[in-house]
Amino acid sequence: MEEFNWILQLLGRFHPLLVHFPIGLLVVALFFELLTIGGKRPALREGIHWMVYVGAAFGVLAALLGWLLRTYDDYSGDLVTNHQNVGIATAVFSVITALLLRNTLNGKLSDYRVYRSGLMVTVILLAVAGHLGANLTHGEDYLTSVLPGNKDAYDNSKSVALLAELKQSDSLSEIQQDKLNLEVRAIFAHNCYQCHSENKQKGELVLEHKEGVFKGGESGPAIVAGKPSESELYRRVTLSPNDDEVMPKKGKVLKDNEIALIKLWIQNGAHWSDQALKVFPEAALALESPELPKVEGQSHPVDKLIGSYFEKNSIDWSESVDDRTFIRRVYMDVIGLLPEPEAIAEFANDSIPDKRGALIDTLLGDTHNYTQNWLSFWNDLLRNDYSGTGFITGGRKQITDWLYSSLQENKSYDQMVKELVNPTDASEGFIKGIQWRGVVNASQRTEMQAAQNIGQSLLGVNVKCASCHNSFVSNLTLAETYGFASIFADSVLELNRCDKPLGKMAKVNFLYPELGDVEAESVKERLSKLSEVIIKPENGRLYRTITNRFWKRLMGRGIVEPADEMDNEPWDSDLLDWLASDFIASGYDLKHLIKQIITSKAYQLPTAHYEKLEDIKSNYVFKGPVLRRMSAEQFSDAVSQVIKPMYAAVAFNPKGGELPSSRIWHREIKFDRDVLPEPGKRYFRKTITLPNKSITSAKVLVSVDHSHTLYINDKKASEGSDWTKVYRSDVTPLLLKGENTIAIEGINEGTIANPAGILFSMKIIYSDGSEMILNSDKSWKSTAEEPDQGWTSVAFDDSNWVEVRNYGTSNWGKLIDFSFEEHNGEFARASLVQQHPFMKALGRPSRENVATSRDDQATLLQALELTNGEFFNNVLEEGAGQWLKRYDDNSEKIVDELYQKSLGRKPTDDEKEIMLAVLGNQPKQEALQDIFWSTLILPEFQFIN
Amino acid sequence: MDEQNTRRDFIKKMTAASLAASATTIPLASFLSSCTGTVPKIPSTADTVILLWMAGGMAHTETFDPKAYVPYEKGVESKRVLSTFPKVPTAVDGLDFSKGLESIGSVMDKGAIIRSYKSADLGHILHTRHQYHWHTCYEPPQSVQAPHIGAWIAKELGPANPVIPPFIAMGQRFTVGEAEELKAFHSAGFLGSEYGPFLIPDPSGGLESVRPPQGMSIKRFEARYKLYKELANKSKVMESGSDYQRESLMRSMEQSYRLLNSPEAKVFDLSEEPKEVYDTYNTGRFGLGCLLAKRLAMNGGRFISVSTEYEPFLGWDTHENGHTRLVKMKELIDRPIAQLVKDLDESGHLDRTLIILASEFSRDAIMEGRPGEQVQDQVPQPDVIEDEKFYGMHRHFTDGSSILMWGGGVEKGLIYGKTADERPCSSIENPVVIDQVHQSIYHALGMHPETHYTIEGRPFYTTPDGHGKPILDLFGKPMKNSKNQDKEALTS
Repeated sequence: MEEFNWILQLLGRFHPLLVHFPIGLLVVALFFELLTIGGKRPALREGIHWMVYVGAAFGVLAALLGWLLRTYDDYSGDLVTNHQNVGIATAVFSVITALLLRNTLNGKLSDYRVYRSGLMVTVILLAVAGHLGANLTHGEDYLTSVLPGNKDAYDNSKSVALLAELKQSDSLSEIQQDKLNLEVRAIFAHNCYQCHSENKQKGELVLEHKEGVFKGGESGPAIVAGKPSESELYRRVTLSPNDDEVMPKKGKVLKDNEIALIKLWIQNGAHWSDQALKVFPEAALALESPELPKVEGQSHPVDKLIGSYFEKNSIDWSESVDDRTFIRRVYMDVIGLLPEPEAIAEFANDSIPDKRGALIDTLLGDTHNYTQNWLSFWNDLLRNDYSGTGFITGGRKQITDWLYSSLQENKSYDQMVKELVNPTDASEGFIKGIQWRGVVNASQRTEMQAAQNIGQSLLGVNVKCASCHNSFVSNLTLAETYGFASIFADSVLELNRCDKPLGKMAKVNFLYPELGDVEAESVKERLSKLSEVIIKPENGRLYRTITNRFWKRLMGRGIVEPADEMDNEPWDSDLLDWLASDFIASGYDLKHLIKQIITSKAYQLPTAHYEKLEDIKSNYVFKGPVLRRMSAEQFSDAVSQVIKPMYAAVAFNPKGGELPSSRIWHREIKFDRDVLPEPGKRYFRKTITLPNKSITSAKVLVSVDHSHTLYINDKKASEGSDWTKVYRSDVTPLLLKGENTIAIEGINEGTIANPAGILFSMKIIYSDGSEMILNSDKSWKSTAEEPDQGWTSVAFDDSNWVEVRNYGTSNWGKLIDFSFEEHNGEFARASLVQQHPFMKALGRPSRENVATSRDDQATLLQALELTNGEFFNNVLEEGAGQWLKRYDDNSEKIVDELYQKSLGRKPTDDEKEIMLAVLGNQPKQEALQDIFWSTLILPEFQFIN
Repeated sequence: MDEQNTRRDFIKKMTAASLAASATTIPLASFLSSCTGTVPKIPSTADTVILLWMAGGMAHTETFDPKAYVPYEKGVESKRVLSTFPKVPTAVDGLDFSKGLESIGSVMDKGAIIRSYKSADLGHILHTRHQYHWHTCYEPPQSVQAPHIGAWIAKELGPANPVIPPFIAMGQRFTVGEAEELKAFHSAGFLGSEYGPFLIPDPSGGLESVRPPQGMSIKRFEARYKLYKELANKSKVMESGSDYQRESLMRSMEQSYRLLNSPEAKVFDLSEEPKEVYDTYNTGRFGLGCLLAKRLAMNGGRFISVSTEYEPFLGWDTHENGHTRLVKMKELIDRPIAQLVKDLDESGHLDRTLIILASEFSRDAIMEGRPGEQVQDQVPQPDVIEDEKFYGMHRHFTDGSSILMWGGGVEKGLIYGKTADERPCSSIENPVVIDQVHQSIYHALGMHPETHYTIEGRPFYTTPDGHGKPILDLFGKPMKNSKNQDKEALTS
């Protein structure tokens, strides 16, 4: 039986042919039937009857063949089932209609009305079945795809126009040949690359480049120049959509004009243009220099541009925000701190003209605070951190010193880029990348990282995808990326696709060769050339990218989004290009760029209301700044300002004045290895001999993780139990000429082994003006055994004690208070502090990769850290203790101060009442701690409005 | 209010809240596009995963794949020593373990062993690089932040019990050497911190992580939250800005408050265990981690890892005294692991809990790296052992590792793969790579093998390029028909 299946299959394939009979016959029958209504045109009657009978017969036959086609030709899916059901219904109704007609003619029915209704239903069903069938054959979007607004992702009109143009000419000019070829390649890109690219060579065919197209694939050559009919590619794209061999794939065929273009191209010799195909939209490299529009009532250039944008989008200007909102916003944005209550009051009461402009100038002039706020932005962008992977094996280098001083002196941006690309020792960390020990994937070698990071951070272009294979998201090719990476390589790189060597060597080039040549013998020369080429004003991309990032940072949303993909459409290209041009004209002055944005009325608009997140992501319309949440660093600094310093130690101390700051502890060994110390008491001694001079003063600084008691010559000199604190004491009267013993009893707390360390420094000033400094170091001795009495005195024999271990600063950072000069109220700015679990939870990224946008959503883990995190709660608890002392337990004063300091306003009567009810007349530390918490968690505190 | 009702309402709210929260992910949503859509869900055999992590490189020949035992004597040649322990039988015929692992051996009739895991060849050894690779399935460094397997699971499946974080990592401190490298893979990477690990370095203090702050009574905790809510309601409403931003902030605080105030937090309280049980598990932090893992698995944990803790040159990372130190390491793990399997089996939870024991690579006395790829040596070893200190597996070897699995649909008593009996005892049958291990875990959990998100234009799969395949033999679906099985699994 089965060997005859082919007959049934063959018959089935007549279905598409046969269906047209019932369609034609029944539709015309209905049309004629309408013409006869009211007894007119009786001559048509006989013909109509035949059409109905024959139409019904063919309808049944077509349904039968359709069923065969479906069964023997492996069709399935909902669409097929629907088509089948409606098709069968059509056949059934056409037979019923025929029977009704016969009954009418027999006189069993009194008139044509029932039959006519039957015919109507049949034709409607027929139309539905026909439509579903057409969808099956031509694709589901066959009809809708040509509706306005439903155009394919890429523009077909270009190819239609080109076809029309070329059809008219007898012979093609060279320009036309190029255009034809590029259009054909665009057709390939949109329809064929998915399977026939270097990345995925289905049937061994690659249509991405000339060699591939002319080499062909498994089925032999794809193109025979001049002969479309002999070209396999042409044959495949012209097959029936049902054919198994049809391309692009069964059920999806090219548009007629596309097929015609391919045919025309082959006919004309299949010319290959030298021009590169740009499949993806690409922003122009050069900046436009738009004229500032004339907008009534606006004097600021940004406002003129925004004004014109508002007019186009029918948006009205809102009132600028009030002074209190403005001062908080601009403080946060420029220096990352909350304005002190006095500053707010003074500003609000100030009546000088342009006081906002004056405030902006003052803040931009606050160099250290400006630098310490913006440092986080640059650390994220340049992947610079104080700790992280790679440092352990020397495979990574910080650029903090360079970055800090660059921001501090407001180095021009072109100079910064120049020094990043062609680095000095201090700035080489950026292109050096991160190297773990061992071998790495070809796409992650440090030269590739340099190319990727320069691409992403500075140029807003994704080089990462094209590091493994030709990009799917941009026009960038693997060869271009390797050419770019080769600039940084000691020897020419071999191309690797998805980590497999291709046996092809890279050719040194910059991503935008039109800017200039970067080839040279040595890396040093190439970097020097690149650094000159990349900063040219013609490279609008470099300046657009940083401009957009600053706008995003200050306004909450970029003019282009995502800010790393600068080929995307800006919502106002004039605004972006004007700002970037103005930035260049200012001498690449970063502070000027900030000022240009924040002195505008646009910046001073109230935060805009957006219903959903979607409205900010896509179809975005600028209405004003987006409400932002404080960053992890800003939140930390705000808490440090309001409650008490959060962090005691920094990883980088810009103010220098270093004292040696190595922590020492008893050396603990397990299996012949140094290990973290177990909890418990340890004893330390150091004996020094002082000269025979009289001492004017002797001061000691000591800080121990976790707690200590310090003895000098058997007398207690200091004790404390907080490693973040520096304990100071004057030990002048305790010191003797000759031998002196400094002894410390230290305790490591906790339940499991954990870091512990003593930090000690003593400064002696003699009457002759000379100084002597003694620090904790490896010359100290220690023991874990409880020593006999008298161990704190000179006489004690410590010969069986052992040398201490030096732990350096790794787990603690540099205590900013550890200095013989008093720091007044300064605290460790969060941007200078090593990554901390609290900041991590609040969204400070680990800078293993470039991180250009912070995760500012509220998450559960973050809320947990705020709710029960030991670190945060301890800060609040200690802060509450300090406040009670400072404000003499005066509840009312405390509430007022808290509101002024944290929210920049007085509490309302309601709020004050609630607070006072909790605090009572004799405020308790616990109650105040809880009030702190409740205030700092408020959206009003956490958002930059 | 009825307790039952409250709980149900709570769960309903939590779920709605987490959904809403994940929908308002600002930067993530703009970069991540899910692969979901028409992907069919595959049937799962497990709801919970417990990873028992033997950090530092556990020698297979000294533990679960013993070879010829050569006792220590002064002057013995290093190259003669394949195992420093004699073999002991297990509950499975033909399966021997190394002495000191009798308890684990006694529960092998409830689980399976893979004896042919090959680690990646990453050149000069850095433990944390291999650990990163094991936990993320990607070799570091990567151009985007790769998520930990626990984060993938947390993201795809969410918490099994809304008050238990879906990804909990126990036993590892981050103050030791290679700490930064450890942090790099204990991360949700680009999936977003929402799915990151809930870290419990010391399981005996696990309760502290899910209770109100230390020293704060429940009453005070509730009053504090009430105060905040009251102030938030009274606080001058911000006329501008967008509601969804404020709401997501307030919602996350509410979630955290509910979690910390939930009676289910007592799951984390080991003092609820009877003394005998506590003592059975208590071989130290690792053992107590197993005990907490048991409690979590019984109460809706999702992904739980318990690590023997990595500290360079300690734990399984033996560079000297290998034999004597392994006696101690075995004491640390043998009893609690066996008890964990038994307890979950008795309570019926083992059926839906997949337990995996693994290490980043194995060790050998001679070979550093792998055959043919001998890499830079780290600690010199003598050819002739004159001191017991040099008796043991003191070099890194990236082939032949053993992986143990129990429950969650895993075939009982299965021995998969084989290593040679001669040095360097490499895999000679059914070699297994990390992609297969991850896909087997995802398979058990019912996660599609091609789960991925697009980040910076790149589709990032659970296993590189989405090519990894589960080892179906582990689940009693022989590989012979793997093609059909695969199809069936994917479409049913």
